Amino acid sequence: MLKKISLLLPALCLWSAAVARERIILLNEGNWQADNGKITYFDDGRIVSNQWFRDVNGQKLGDTPNDIIQVNENLIAIAVNWSNIVQFIRPDGVAVAATEDVPNNRKLASDGDYVYVSSYGHEVATVDGMLMFDKGYVAKIDVSTFKVVSAVEVGYEPEGIALYDGYLFVANTGGYAFQEDHEYETTVSVIDAATMKIVRTVDTGQINLYGKLSVSGKYLCINSPGDYYDIPAATIIFDCEAAISGAPDAECFRMLEYAATYSSQTSDGQFYAIGSRFSYYTSEYQFNYVKIDPEAVFASNGAEGVTEEFPGTLLDDIKKMTMPYGIYVNPYSGYIYATDAGSFAAAGALYQWDSEGNLLGVHGVYINPAHFLALDPDSETTDTESVVIEVVNEPASPLYNLSGLPVGNPVRGQIYVRNGKKLVY
Amino acid sequence: MTPKPLRLLRPCALTLAFLISLNCFSAAAVEKSDSVIHFKEVEVTASRIPTATRQTLSGTKLQALSSTSIADALKYFAGVQIKDYGGLGGLKTINVRSLGAQHVGVYIDGIRITNAQNGTVDLGKFSLSTLESVSLYNANKLDFCQSPSEYASGATVYMTTRRPQADSLSVLVGAGSFSTWRARLTGEFSRKGWCGFLDGEYLKSRGDYPFRYHSAYEDTVGRRKNSDIEYLRVEGALFRGGFSSHVYCYVSERGCPGGIVRRLSDKYTNIGREWDRDLFVQGAYERRIARIHQLKFNLKYTDEYLRYNTDYPDNQNTARVDNHYWQRDIFASAAYSVRPVKWLAVNAGYDARVSWLDADLKKFCPIRRFDQKAVIALQADWRCLRLAGSALYQHMKDHTRLKVGAARPLSRFTPAVTLAWAPGDLSVRAWYKCIFRAPTLNDLYYTQAGNRNLKPEYTRQWNLGAEYHLSRAGFSFSAQADAYLNYIENRIVCLPLKGTYTWSMMNYGRTFCRGLNSTISAAYALRDWQFSLLCSFTLQKDLNRTDPDDKATYNQPICYSPLFSSGQTLIVGWRMLQLTVSNLYVGERMWSYADPEDILTPYSNVDMKLTAKIWRFSLSGEVNDLLDVQYEHIPRYPMPGRNFKLTVTFSL
Repeated sequence: MLKKISLLLPALCLWSAAVARERIILLNEGNWQADNGKITYFDDGRIVSNQWFRDVNGQKLGDTPNDIIQVNENLIAIAVNWSNIVQFIRPDGVAVAATEDVPNNRKLASDGDYVYVSSYGHEVATVDGMLMFDKGYVAKIDVSTFKVVSAVEVGYEPEGIALYDGYLFVANTGGYAFQEDHEYETTVSVIDAATMKIVRTVDTGQINLYGKLSVSGKYLCINSPGDYYDIPAATIIFDCEAAISGAPDAECFRMLEYAATYSSQTSDGQFYAIGSRFSYYTSEYQFNYVKIDPEAVFASNGAEGVTEEFPGTLLDDIKKMTMPYGIYVNPYSGYIYATDAGSFAAAGALYQWDSEGNLLGVHGVYINPAHFLALDPDSETTDTESVVIEVVNEPASPLYNLSGLPVGNPVRGQIYVRNGKKLVY
Repeated sequence: MTPKPLRLLRPCALTLAFLISLNCFSAAAVEKSDSVIHFKEVEVTASRIPTATRQTLSGTKLQALSSTSIADALKYFAGVQIKDYGGLGGLKTINVRSLGAQHVGVYIDGIRITNAQNGTVDLGKFSLSTLESVSLYNANKLDFCQSPSEYASGATVYMTTRRPQADSLSVLVGAGSFSTWRARLTGEFSRKGWCGFLDGEYLKSRGDYPFRYHSAYEDTVGRRKNSDIEYLRVEGALFRGGFSSHVYCYVSERGCPGGIVRRLSDKYTNIGREWDRDLFVQGAYERRIARIHQLKFNLKYTDEYLRYNTDYPDNQNTARVDNHYWQRDIFASAAYSVRPVKWLAVNAGYDARVSWLDADLKKFCPIRRFDQKAVIALQADWRCLRLAGSALYQHMKDHTRLKVGAARPLSRFTPAVTLAWAPGDLSVRAWYKCIFRAPTLNDLYYTQAGNRNLKPEYTRQWNLGAEYHLSRAGFSFSAQADAYLNYIENRIVCLPLKGTYTWSMMNYGRTFCRGLNSTISAAYALRDWQFSLLCSFTLQKDLNRTDPDDKATYNQPICYSPLFSSGQTLIVGWRMLQLTVSNLYVGERMWSYADPEDILTPYSNVDMKLTAKIWRFSLSGEVNDLLDVQYEHIPRYPMPGRNFKLTVTFSL
């Protein structure tokens, strides 16, 4: 597998020299508890692999990958939710480290040196020992050691997380409110990323701030699906600047009567939002496909700034999908991507449009394609020389068996993994 | 042990029987005196012309199988797929001809075991030890004097309770792999026309079996965690002539392990634990009047409690719930059949069921369902021909104060018709049945999933089959084959809704299934030796016909449905020794359409059981999954692999 890729990549690199390269990493969530989360690697109009992680690393990614971000030019982080793993890879796909110190991890943010992870869980293993929380928390992972250096409790079931000007903004859902003995959350927690202390909590008055959160400059686009009964879905447009400057809660956000189940920033500082407002009372749902201009929304107090102006055939194409499952604008090129999860048992599809909204292609991917990351077209991290397993120095250098489980009592003659290298003990 | 062919359940001499009126057809099968296997009522239910497509395991053959629950016996039937989440505590459901578990009715002595909440029966909760026979009927059983609910499912499994013929007491103790311990105490009596038994069984198993996933990109070894089970089952039955009654109580605690997924260590497990307490009491009375009338009354009360808890520190991945569910159910039925002239029988019946469901879920309040059914069935005979038809009317109405409101009442007619021709040892049958399954209370009202606008899921089945019986001194042979077609419409499934992360029940999907089921059985006795062989074959093409525009799925096989499966069981008896070897082969099944790699590999599961009788003791040793295949029914839910069992029974 490695060989195949190493032959493929130089050819692609040469060809792409002429135009800006469209390099997209796409997470396919797979089926829950089926351990079939997969990565699609898409390069210049073609799918290089729908099981990229496996091809490069010879092992599976895990169950339900939930978010992917670029940490710095050499590192990418993936939250593999049901596996309780935060997986670190290089931009060429090579796994460099993984930690299970943040169970039930949800979404990621980073400043290049640290990765911030939201978690629905109640405990976290930090360098200072285990920390327990009643509610959910945000953990801070130092990417020089891949250890959690600190963590702070936020609301119940914190979901979306964004970093702006040294502050973390965390959307709390309280999503277990239907099962657990607490109510839905309505707040955004603001945390000083350096000290990991909560500086304020902004109450939006809207429950269940769940799902994808998009960032465009100082604005956040936060979805709320409501409770599917009495409280309908909404979108919160949040002003990070206002929250930091100490403006009253009501000045920090605007609420729109649209769902933003899937959202993305656009290349002109706005948001695309796709979603539906559903009620279990009627079993009916109301779709919306909107473009949101946060400036205009704030200026008009929510009266203006929402249009259905999608370029080219983008909107028509999305409307034809069986099950839209994600939308993304490549920040480097403005090319637009969206996924269709289809019937959930079959392979989903990746759609690609140029920035004018001309459909360039539809590609078969894997089950529940959901989360995107565009790679810098100018970086050449995938050159063939670097496709060599790199040894990461972990302080304790624990011994793992071939399935990645730590081994306490190794048996002589067996094969184990230490620092990413196989060895005969 | 006298594995004499159980002729009355394998109808032979049919033409002879055809001439004899029903009332005369009550001679009991004669078993040798030391056997506990006797028939009194069972044969009355056997149709003289085999109109129904039926497979039966009974008496010694049933007990000879290496099995702990009825799921283990049913898996050898043609057309059956068992879904099993692995281990002793894993949910086991049966799917017949790909209709889906909720289309299979499971009956104890003619009364249906129901679950208003989810519509499925966990076969793991029922033991073979108290049973005389287990039969599977495709479509209807087609008996005289049936209650309407017996017509109301796409396939029916009948469990017939054993009627003791002598006083006895037996004690069983057993041990098995993965710290499994079992004890059973059974007392039976038979005197002055009354007979009955009391049977109590206790089992405890740690169930921490080892598993391994090995492929080019994975080598995972581990032990199943949270897979323990402990249960106590107490059953009693009392019979006298046309009166029969049954009390059943099952109390259990078990772990509900999740799928095996990539983890860096065993630090966190997705612990869920379940407690069950199931109780039912049922009684039936059957009487014939003036040789041409027959009456039957059934009454049943069911009380079920379930607790599901995930509030454990090891469980970081899910909501911490501690939910309780309560279900009660009262069922009453009356059936009447008359044979005004020799060639015609008419059956009419009515039954009513009231079910209550309550749970301490948020936004939930009690639901009551009133379910009434009425049936009229005719059976006409002309020489070797028989025509049987039935029309079933069902009416269901729910009551609830839930804010979503109750679903609209459902009332539907559904027909079934059978034509059979039995000129001699060979008989030929053709039948059609249309039936639906109503949305369950979970489907309609479950918090954050239920959809009260659901339509019933309809099935239409066509079948053409033949069977042949041959019986000679010391030798018997029978074979049957059925070709079938079925369509399912408006499948009730839970899917995420478009444009939300919300899951909801909906009617989505159609399937078209073509198949061939066949069974062959033979028995041969020579001096001290007895041989019997049971074989079943299923060839089935089950296609997704949901969305013609979706090339990836349309006309593709349904997930989890194998093209070919077969089972073979050989029982060899020699004096006081008996050896059973069985093999179950299940072909390749895909579990998703997304990747050709998403398949479950074919497997052969070989079980062996050796029993020896010495004085009042019976010793048996079992090896299950002899080849240690560790196959899967559900991806990432490994089965236990090779395991052993040893039991000692002492009888008085």
